[in-house]
Amino acid sequence: MGAIGIDWQVLLAQFVNFAILFGLLSVLLYKPMRRMLDERSNKIKESMEQAEQIKEQMTKSEEQVKLQLDTARREGQDILAQAAQMGERLKEEAKGEARQEAEVIVARARTEIERERDQAIDEVKREFVDLAITAAEKVVNESLDREKHRRLIEEVLEQAPKREG
Amino acid sequence: MARFGRRQRILIIVLISFSLIALGAVFFPISMPHFQLAPEKPWHDLPITNTMIAAWLTIIVIGILSYFATRKMKLVPRGLQNIMEVVLEALIGFVESIAGKDNGRKFFPIVATIFIFVIANAWLALFPGFMSIGIWETEIVHGVEETVLVPFFRGANTDVNFPLALALVSFIFVEFWGFKAHGFTSYMGKFINFRQYFGGWGKLLRGQVGSGMGMLFTGIIDIFVGFVELLSELIRIVSFTFRLFGNMTAGEILVFSMMFLIPWVAAVPFMGLELFIGFVQALIFCGLTVVFLVMAVAPHEEH
Repeated sequence: MGAIGIDWQVLLAQFVNFAILFGLLSVLLYKPMRRMLDERSNKIKESMEQAEQIKEQMTKSEEQVKLQLDTARREGQDILAQAAQMGERLKEEAKGEARQEAEVIVARARTEIERERDQAIDEVKREFVDLAITAAEKVVNESLDREKHRRLIEEVLEQAPKREG
Repeated sequence: MARFGRRQRILIIVLISFSLIALGAVFFPISMPHFQLAPEKPWHDLPITNTMIAAWLTIIVIGILSYFATRKMKLVPRGLQNIMEVVLEALIGFVESIAGKDNGRKFFPIVATIFIFVIANAWLALFPGFMSIGIWETEIVHGVEETVLVPFFRGANTDVNFPLALALVSFIFVEFWGFKAHGFTSYMGKFINFRQYFGGWGKLLRGQVGSGMGMLFTGIIDIFVGFVELLSELIRIVSFTFRLFGNMTAGEILVFSMMFLIPWVAAVPFMGLELFIGFVQALIFCGLTVVFLVMAVAPHEEH
């Protein structure tokens, strides 16, 4: 055994060396590396799960947005339709009002015209009476009482339009 | 250099190498190495062998590497941390592929330490300074007085004590986990199995000659099988020791003989071979340890 050199002291020393290296590596390499590897694999798992979640959320929110867009579009269309309806109604109302007003104005104008016509007729009548009187006076030579004469003519004139109409 | 093609450049390197060989052989002959299997003590009054110094150097180098690899660990690894992580992950994968996830985790530290220690010893022994720095001493070799170099550094794998220590560590851990997995009596029953034997005698005494003889016969076989198991367990130590010791010592002798026969660069291919052999031996040592560990903790069939 001496020739190949088995020596219990050296053997023991190599044992101790192995133990030292084992301790050293456990503290310096295996534990931190294990922790790091585990941490990394956890992190990767987590981030993959997160990515999955985010994807899910995105599809969900996309759907929501789509839904919201749809409702908004529908609402917009409703509002537009309502507005059109309202416009139509307003137009109708305005038209009606305008027509009414126009009618009122026309009626008023008509009455005014009638009144003015009557007035004019009256005036013409009176002037005609006066003219007739003066004419008659000139003809009769003041033979007749002026008052009496006037009454007479007015009576005639009163009857005149009745005969006409 | 741009003037030369790739082929010419290789030719030039080869030519320079050959001229170096010639020059070296003529002007700087390398003295014939003296090989001694037993580790030497450079200082006679100190019980420190050159292989122990090499082992310490290995420990220091590995310690420094691990310290700097794990000093500022980052989730995204860079540089040394990355390299060490690749190595460790490969080792973890190797151990777990043989032993499974749970057992792999348990066995990993001891197996990885064996691997790292063996491969670092083997590779470090190829550095210049190993076997070449030392003290000249006069020794009597084969009855002739000669001055020989007693080196300060010699690869720890080439000292039989180191592989033996590793083999014993492997053996101790295999048996430790065997006992732990099966319990003391159950694990010992694998080696010392007298149950059938005594049962056979009991039947014989009760007069059941036929079945008693049968049990006695299987009992004797059981005892023999247990003995063989025990023997194989012990022989593992020897095979572990001499596989590593023989390979590494032969490699060292080969490299230095080549250096002596054809000085200088002729040893380079053999050093490359040694790199490979160092890796293979480390892998075999730790792989076999894992296999034996798995065999020890595996549930053995009950009779």
